[in-house]
Amino acid sequence: MKRNHQVSCGGGQNGGNTSVSNSSKAKIWEEEQESGSMDELLAVLGYKVRSDDMADVAEKLEQLEMVMGSAQQDGISQLSDTVHYNPSDLSGWLQTMLSELNPIDDVLSNSQQQRQRQKQKQIETQSRVIIYDDNSEYDLRAIPGIAAYPQSQLQTETETTSKRLKTSIGSASSSSSSIEPRPVVVVDAQDTGVRLVHTLLACAEAVQQDNLKVADALVKQVGTLAVSQTGAMRKVATYFAEALARRIYKVYPQEDSLVSSYSDILQMHFYETCPYLKFAHFTANQAILEAFATATRVHVVDFGLKQGMQWPALMQALALRPGGPPVFRLTGVGPPQPDNTDALQQVGWKLAQFAETMGVEFEFRGFVANSLADLEPSMLDVRPPEVETLAVNSIFELHCLLARPGAIEKVMASIKSMNPKIVTMVEQEANHNGPVFLDRFNESLHYYSSLFDSLEGSSGPSEDLVLSEVYLGRQICNVVACDGGDRVERHETLTQWRNRLSRAGFEPVHLGSNVFKQAKTLLALYAGGGGYQVEENNGSLMLGWHTRPLIATSAWQLASPSPSPSPSPSRLS
Amino acid sequence: MEDNNEVNEVDLTDSKMVVPLNTWVLISNFKLSYNLLRRPDGTFNRHLAEFLDRKVAPNANPVDGVLSFDVIIDKGTSLLTRIYQPASADAPQLNILDFHKPVGVEVLPVIIFFHGGSFAHSSANSGIYDILCRRLVGNCKAVVVSVNYRRAPENRFPCAYDDGWTTLKWVNSRSWLKSTKDSKVHIYLAGDSSGGNIVHNVALRAAESGIEVLGNILLNPMFGGLERTESEERLDGKYFVTIQDRDWYWRAFLPEGEDRDHPACNPFGPRGISLKDVKFPKSLVVVAGLDLVQDWQLAYAKGLEKAGQDVKLLFLDKATIGFYLLPNNDHFYTVMNEISSFVRSDC
Repeated sequence: MKRNHQVSCGGGQNGGNTSVSNSSKAKIWEEEQESGSMDELLAVLGYKVRSDDMADVAEKLEQLEMVMGSAQQDGISQLSDTVHYNPSDLSGWLQTMLSELNPIDDVLSNSQQQRQRQKQKQIETQSRVIIYDDNSEYDLRAIPGIAAYPQSQLQTETETTSKRLKTSIGSASSSSSSIEPRPVVVVDAQDTGVRLVHTLLACAEAVQQDNLKVADALVKQVGTLAVSQTGAMRKVATYFAEALARRIYKVYPQEDSLVSSYSDILQMHFYETCPYLKFAHFTANQAILEAFATATRVHVVDFGLKQGMQWPALMQALALRPGGPPVFRLTGVGPPQPDNTDALQQVGWKLAQFAETMGVEFEFRGFVANSLADLEPSMLDVRPPEVETLAVNSIFELHCLLARPGAIEKVMASIKSMNPKIVTMVEQEANHNGPVFLDRFNESLHYYSSLFDSLEGSSGPSEDLVLSEVYLGRQICNVVACDGGDRVERHETLTQWRNRLSRAGFEPVHLGSNVFKQAKTLLALYAGGGGYQVEENNGSLMLGWHTRPLIATSAWQLASPSPSPSPSPSRLS
Repeated sequence: MEDNNEVNEVDLTDSKMVVPLNTWVLISNFKLSYNLLRRPDGTFNRHLAEFLDRKVAPNANPVDGVLSFDVIIDKGTSLLTRIYQPASADAPQLNILDFHKPVGVEVLPVIIFFHGGSFAHSSANSGIYDILCRRLVGNCKAVVVSVNYRRAPENRFPCAYDDGWTTLKWVNSRSWLKSTKDSKVHIYLAGDSSGGNIVHNVALRAAESGIEVLGNILLNPMFGGLERTESEERLDGKYFVTIQDRDWYWRAFLPEGEDRDHPACNPFGPRGISLKDVKFPKSLVVVAGLDLVQDWQLAYAKGLEKAGQDVKLLFLDKATIGFYLLPNNDHFYTVMNEISSFVRSDC
């Protein structure tokens, strides 16, 4: 529809020649429509539909309308209770619903045949009802949801497989804007510490310009101002000021092995205080469980074992599988310890005891490594996929590799050579790895402000809260004060990780509405305040504070070797 | 059963003929998802709703001349608003503080926006509403404050109105939003569907409390009543909306046991209050000619007129619900122009 319109739909403050740019904009998107790329108008809204596919998508909508119309409430209930994946891929989403209601048919068959088969299907579904039930007497951490246990081997597997493994269009595409977005969420308070933040930013700018005398004066001012502040702002400002001071005076925090065992303890307090780690473990475990499905021997390689808090829940869930638990092998990686104590073995021992009470056959192996890049896959005793199903798990570990050139690529290659069924990763949703110091400072100030804000409302012992803040404070210190190989808190966004993983030869495995729902339930249990939000993002799940996503869980598998985009990829095991 | 299906086939063709294909896909997709979310027992599948809703984060970097950021204006209810401001790409990067720097324009319209969704769906950070608010900023050279009000059925009447009222008071007291001409905040209320309904009800409270609202913009506002009107019967199910779903949303929003003649639903009905001699803002009421609740919307405009209030009615002949979500039809531009004139009449 070619038009020439006078209304400005996005002009700047001075209201320049917007009508000209609008009509040329209109021409550009019209041309793109014709060339068969993504419909821009829908893309902006979050829906990925190729212009060429629009008519086909419309037809699917009509078919669903008809099928649902004849199935009435049963059809609607079935579809609302089923698991949904990646709603941005409209075509895929609609197709899986159509398949759900008519699993055997070619969807283009005539309506009468459809109605008849629909009736048949209804009878079938009645006997094979899949109920995703959240009412459990168990701690939610241990019950990942019945979606992980396929009941009808053939049907469920193909259905859930094609849903989860569908390669959606543009799922690994980079963000469309050339400048990176800056999500800012502020809490309006009487005393926002305006002067304090202003001074902090001025100080950071002075540091950026290498004006250390000015920076020194300003950082002292921050200290004074911070004292009269309260709440999250005071804490955040204090940590950032300390980090700036270290950078100015070149007194860098020591990263020795003593500190790393201390950091495990800090992380445990962080685990207790707020839901971020619980969410990370829960969502990763869900993906692992679904990938393990009915395998009889499974192996998890945990890139950062720490206190092993993720694994009891997984073992409990495995123990509850209808056919009984698989043989469970865990390989935990950790840094060297100061007094040569075998911290990994200690954790492994505790987990073994737990496994015994669960009736799960368990084997543990620990691997000490300074860096994940030092690991050779041959060391890890990976068995062939026909024998054992492998999951590689990384919670807040991969970003550290970005501090050493070549390290992340090496680790990606190692993972690939292990041939895992699934790779689960959780990372901070922020770009704290830009080349310009001031940008990193700004980004991290906003990020940790939101994080500290979220902690303010937490109940529980104050010791947990304080130590959680210390845990985060160490991250702040690393982002702001350190550089080169020492700066390991090199957080990057999900979009950036998607590009990296896609280039390395991985494709996404989608997390569905069942995981989403239970993550939300978990939040309701463990996160008192109403501020935590779970968001679905092209198959990944993000946890954030209000509208600011803070961590992202994504799952991956090796990309299929064939170049043609297969509409119904088969299961890898 | 056969008859139903024949009618269905005709229905689908009808709506497909009056909107561009991508609009049809967008709105049909909403219709489908919304059907999955409403349960016959009146409960709502909120988890699935949140999973399916496409959301966008705020962006303090200007995109097409607009930047946005979120503010929690009431910690107790976690009430969040998304603020959109005009900003040029080459201006120095703003930090947290500059947001409270006076925008410093002689006459700055501040539009408090209430998104639609029949009181149950969508959020301030839903993609469809984020983009609409951005367009309003560019179009009207205004600041837009989008309210993430509490939704039904979990939060019934009057929660949404309360949140609107809280926001109105907050906006009114922001010194950085004042127009330099008269050192006051120039407030307009705007909303589509349930948002339009909220506009009316918040304006009522403002009138009672003496906070000045300069104008109301109601886009396909959601009103109703016990009676079944001609447009409801004629258009039932033909253009994405059914009487049945309208009824469901009213049952979800209104206090339990109430009916559709409750004044929140039917402001000029048998239980409505008179607006005669009330200092009510001027109103722009946009009615889509293929919207089945148009009789109620027209009655609303008539009611305002009868009470001696300033109202402009814009009736768009072949428009369906949601025509303003995509800038690919004449109605979109007509309405944008009207809204622009409406808020800039004193600039």
